[in-house]
Amino acid sequence: MNRTIGLISTNYTVAGFDELCSTRPAAALPFGGRYRLMDFALSNMVNGRIGTVGFMTPYYYRSILDHMGAGKSWGLDKKQGGLFVLPGSVFGFKDDESRFLIRDMGRNIQYLEQGDGDYVLCSDCSFVYNADYQALIARHELAGRSVTLLYKELPQGERRRGWYLELDGQGRVTRLERGESGRYLFLNCFMADRSFLLHFLHDYKTAGYMDFPEALSQLLGNVYVASFPFTGYVGYTDGILDYMHSSFDLLRGEVRRELFESPRQINTKIHDNPPAFYAPGAYVRNSVVSSGSIIEGTVENSILFRNVRVEKGAVVRNCIIMENGTVCAGADMNYVICDKNVSISGNVTIGGTAEHPCVLPKGKKI
Amino acid sequence: MRRKETVAMLLAGGQGSRLGVLTEKIAKPAVSFGGKYRMIDFSLSNCVNSGIDTVGVLIQYKPFLLNKYLGTGEAWNLDDSTGGVHILPPYATESGGQWYQGTADAIYHNIDFIDSYDPEFVLILSGDHLYQMDYNLMLDYHKLMKADLTVAVKTVPMAEASRFGIMTTDEELRVTKFTEKPREPDSDLASMGIYIFSWPVLREALLRDHEAEGSEHDFGKNIIPTLLGEGKRLFAYVFSGYWKDVGTIPSYYATQMELLEKNPSFSLFERRMRIFSNLNEHAPEYIGPEGSAERSLICNGCEILGRVSGSVLSPGVYIGPGASVEDSVLLPNSRVEAGARVRRTILNEEATIAGGALVGDGESITVVGAGATMRVEE
Repeated sequence: MNRTIGLISTNYTVAGFDELCSTRPAAALPFGGRYRLMDFALSNMVNGRIGTVGFMTPYYYRSILDHMGAGKSWGLDKKQGGLFVLPGSVFGFKDDESRFLIRDMGRNIQYLEQGDGDYVLCSDCSFVYNADYQALIARHELAGRSVTLLYKELPQGERRRGWYLELDGQGRVTRLERGESGRYLFLNCFMADRSFLLHFLHDYKTAGYMDFPEALSQLLGNVYVASFPFTGYVGYTDGILDYMHSSFDLLRGEVRRELFESPRQINTKIHDNPPAFYAPGAYVRNSVVSSGSIIEGTVENSILFRNVRVEKGAVVRNCIIMENGTVCAGADMNYVICDKNVSISGNVTIGGTAEHPCVLPKGKKI
Repeated sequence: MRRKETVAMLLAGGQGSRLGVLTEKIAKPAVSFGGKYRMIDFSLSNCVNSGIDTVGVLIQYKPFLLNKYLGTGEAWNLDDSTGGVHILPPYATESGGQWYQGTADAIYHNIDFIDSYDPEFVLILSGDHLYQMDYNLMLDYHKLMKADLTVAVKTVPMAEASRFGIMTTDEELRVTKFTEKPREPDSDLASMGIYIFSWPVLREALLRDHEAEGSEHDFGKNIIPTLLGEGKRLFAYVFSGYWKDVGTIPSYYATQMELLEKNPSFSLFERRMRIFSNLNEHAPEYIGPEGSAERSLICNGCEILGRVSGSVLSPGVYIGPGASVEDSVLLPNSRVEAGARVRRTILNEEATIAGGALVGDGESITVVGAGATMRVEE
């Protein structure tokens, strides 16, 4: 029997996304040709045999609901359990990049109260990884602690913004702190005993705008918080540069294989597009191309989403072009990130650099 | 059960022996086509796009892949609470059981299924034709003509007419004669094997045909000639769109090569009548630093490290470094290892061409069987 229910949080903003996240939450950010960031959280949960998933919506949730529907693509359209859309906070506060707003969880406490799961697995949608949540669940169950945090050990010298763990020899979390660098990065994913979480939310009812890790960091002396390492690939999406790097990581075979060829399949909304067509004279190198695209020109080191059109003589290098993008004949693009439905007229030259990619918002015509 | 005006019955039980090793392990309607499709997708998508939500799929020959592929019918929006896709295999009764003896016999054994929807019309389809068709137009025609049976026909060149079942009609397109593969055809209207029957007429004909001695229980050979003989109202519905029978190796191959033309007569990119499929689970394809793809249709889940031209690649195909694939059709999860060269070849599902091997002479069509491995000869 399934003793764990899931809770996905999306109500956070990420600075540094320019126009890509002006009307969509980062969770709905398109990624990797046909996915959105939320697909990884949802799929990881489902692959961890979690059949009941609560999804706390962010302020701009149109794109989330559009993508997720009734959860069919993840097998969450069920008679028992399934997908629960939980309204998150609206308006009225300036988000300081919290991940698990206690207020949001508190508002949806009924979801946590109902059902008979013993544990709750919480995750946000800010990382790209394919994790074996069953291993995390098993560890939490065996260790019998109230909370278990999932973390990634960063290579020396790598700097990432986020919450960092300090651990003792037994893997107990002794300190939890927000920072710009450190060794054990919290992956914004944790297991908690349901009873603990309910008590906690009750006690912290008044601390509405506090973030869960922040509150937890004050309890480490009293609560045994355990940890569990994730050793696989993690794609970071903290701002546009991270997003670009994680996207281009998909040009590496080992990353693609780990994310997408695992028995734990990452699912997304199905579109039923035809195969991609490569016209006579198409020149495509080191690129990811998605269904429904028609390529007549040159594409190198790029990620093309569904239904992208690259006309004859157009050159696309080091670009990310989201769904329904059109690059007309003779256009030349380098380090450009195009949101959906962008069209570039013929013979236009547009470019950024590896440090400062040019970002074009949804529907932009150049 | 809620009443349905039209129930579609899709004949998917045939072995399709003309497709050789392609149907060695699976039924013909399950054979992969056009990259991410299987043959049955075209008829099923037509049903959905025509608003027909109740489809019985008659199966018999090696049905496992087909059954799995159809699932609940969800992929075609056919997981309908009042209709949906129903897989109909031969079954046993108190007096024993037997295989479907012919196309009409298969429908005969499912009279109860059709009756449960109490339909006015039954649409008979086969699962190996490439076409996009709005069955509603044909149904409107059927009603307008107050027909008992409407047969969809296609104009074919007179010289080729002797290869088809030919309908001879009067000026009103009422069928006066039906001849299977006539030596001297007197009409150029070829049957497409798509029929709309008024159900009471078909039901009665099936009951009588079942008792008829010597009958092969076949629509073309028995049911249609009988109805004609009885003076029933049979009409030809002339379909002007693209339609191909892809049930032979040469037409299966040639039709897919036509998809690669600049303005193909059948476009997979047509948005109005979408073709649905159930092969959508892969990540986008990757073309490597030394890879290339030209004049080709390539599906999700492919990894192209070599060169591909003039070919159709199904999901999950791997082309190794230095390998080259020309004018070929590669079915799901087939592999061409490093340095191999493949020309004018149909590579069946899960087949592997070993590194350095040469397959195909570039002239005749080579077919490699499912799961086969071609090694370099010592």
